[in-house]
Amino acid sequence: MKTKLTIFLVALTFTTGRSLLAGDSPEKSRASTLLPAGEEKCACCAVEAPKPAAAPCCTELTPAAPLSARSIYQLDARFTDDDGRPVALASLRGRPVIVAMFFASCEYACPVIVDDIRRLRAELPAAVRAQARVMLVSFDVARDTPPALKAFRARMNLDDAWTLARGEAPAVQELAMLLGVKFKQDARGQFSHSNLITVLNPEGEIVHQRAGLMGDVSEAAKAVALAAPGGAR
Amino acid sequence: MVRIPAGTYAPILRGADEPERVPVAAFLLDARPVTNAEFLAFVRAHPKWQRSRVSPLFADTGYLGDWTGDLELGPRAPADAPVVRVSWFAARAFAAAQGKRLPTTAEWERAAAAGFTSADGATESGFSATVLAWYTKPSPETLPAAGSGRANFFGAHDLHGLVWEWVDDFNTAMVTGESRGDTGLDRTLFCGAGAANARDLTNYPAFMRVGFRSSLRANYAVPNLGFRCAK
Ligand SMILES: [Cu+2]
Repeated sequence: MKTKLTIFLVALTFTTGRSLLAGDSPEKSRASTLLPAGEEKCACCAVEAPKPAAAPCCTELTPAAPLSARSIYQLDARFTDDDGRPVALASLRGRPVIVAMFFASCEYACPVIVDDIRRLRAELPAAVRAQARVMLVSFDVARDTPPALKAFRARMNLDDAWTLARGEAPAVQELAMLLGVKFKQDARGQFSHSNLITVLNPEGEIVHQRAGLMGDVSEAAKAVALAAPGGAR
Repeated sequence: MVRIPAGTYAPILRGADEPERVPVAAFLLDARPVTNAEFLAFVRAHPKWQRSRVSPLFADTGYLGDWTGDLELGPRAPADAPVVRVSWFAARAFAAAQGKRLPTTAEWERAAAAGFTSADGATESGFSATVLAWYTKPSPETLPAAGSGRANFFGAHDLHGLVWEWVDDFNTAMVTGESRGDTGLDRTLFCGAGAANARDLTNYPAFMRVGFRSSLRANYAVPNLGFRCAK
């Protein structure tokens, strides 16, 4: 009974607590240890920066230093934003990033996730809020075209700090795997999925994950603030 | 590889408006799990998947933990035994390097539902008991050779009885209940999934597999979890 059943029971314990997603990953305690120490900052990445995709000088940081071993920016997957422009995940390097996966026609949790992120941003110190970016990546490979994402942006009233992205199935699957997001399309084309908000530090390492909906977002906000270069209170 | 003809798969958990059986197109499946020797040849050819070089993002610290070195199997990993402690990312990279892929949940379950002498093991006397026996038996310290178990109706060996196996879409499994009967999902954790209902509470191994898959993350490299490829 021992081996197989033990794995199973441990496994189920994992899935029961909402602390799991933050708690089981080896990255969990890195929030406080992986602050980029006194790195020189690219001018455009500082406060008041424009939209990340339109900030080429941020991406110029990338070739300079190799990505850390835990950076999800190692994922060489291509995404497209709601203007139809290519977005590399690594273009967000240098800033704290809030990532979530969603689909635009969701009638249940996704609008709540957006609202949770809005509340999270509202809790950030102004200087951190100006640096932080939000990346929403759609599961819905077939329906979430750039125009559909654009309509979602308008409907949800999302500003330039939010990048809405779509990708082909393998890219979406690999990102979901790296984030630990579960999703499944049902017969009607709707998706069941984890309600998960992930915080990345400027290196693209997962420093915090919040599973669930509504409720307190202050832990996640704290993680964003800690991750921001010079942003920790 | 063996050919698994087109058929159907009956998910153990399904939404209220989902069909009871899902069609599965014909596909090819490895007749047995991938062995240590085969995986060794792969990491030799693709050094980024060697134990000391792999990114922790793609394989955790347990990766190939039964081997004695980057390119040495050692006594706990016989060459012909199934490779275990491989992550989903590593399994997928191996499959891609062979021009193959990992089977989907539907494909794997479709193949594994076959008995020894018929396409539907559930109706075959003694088959379910044999399968169940494995799930309740301790795993041996050193795994036997892959392919040594009795072939099923389609000619596939060891789908039950040797190791757990990765499926490409393991992250479609969402379970939050702690007991086998509690398969409801917490709607605050999972969007749109509240309607999933258990189909057959007596198929304990199928529940075990759903629970096990739902507990995994793609970089986990755990004991007794191997894989085979599909095409
Ligand atoms: Cu949703």
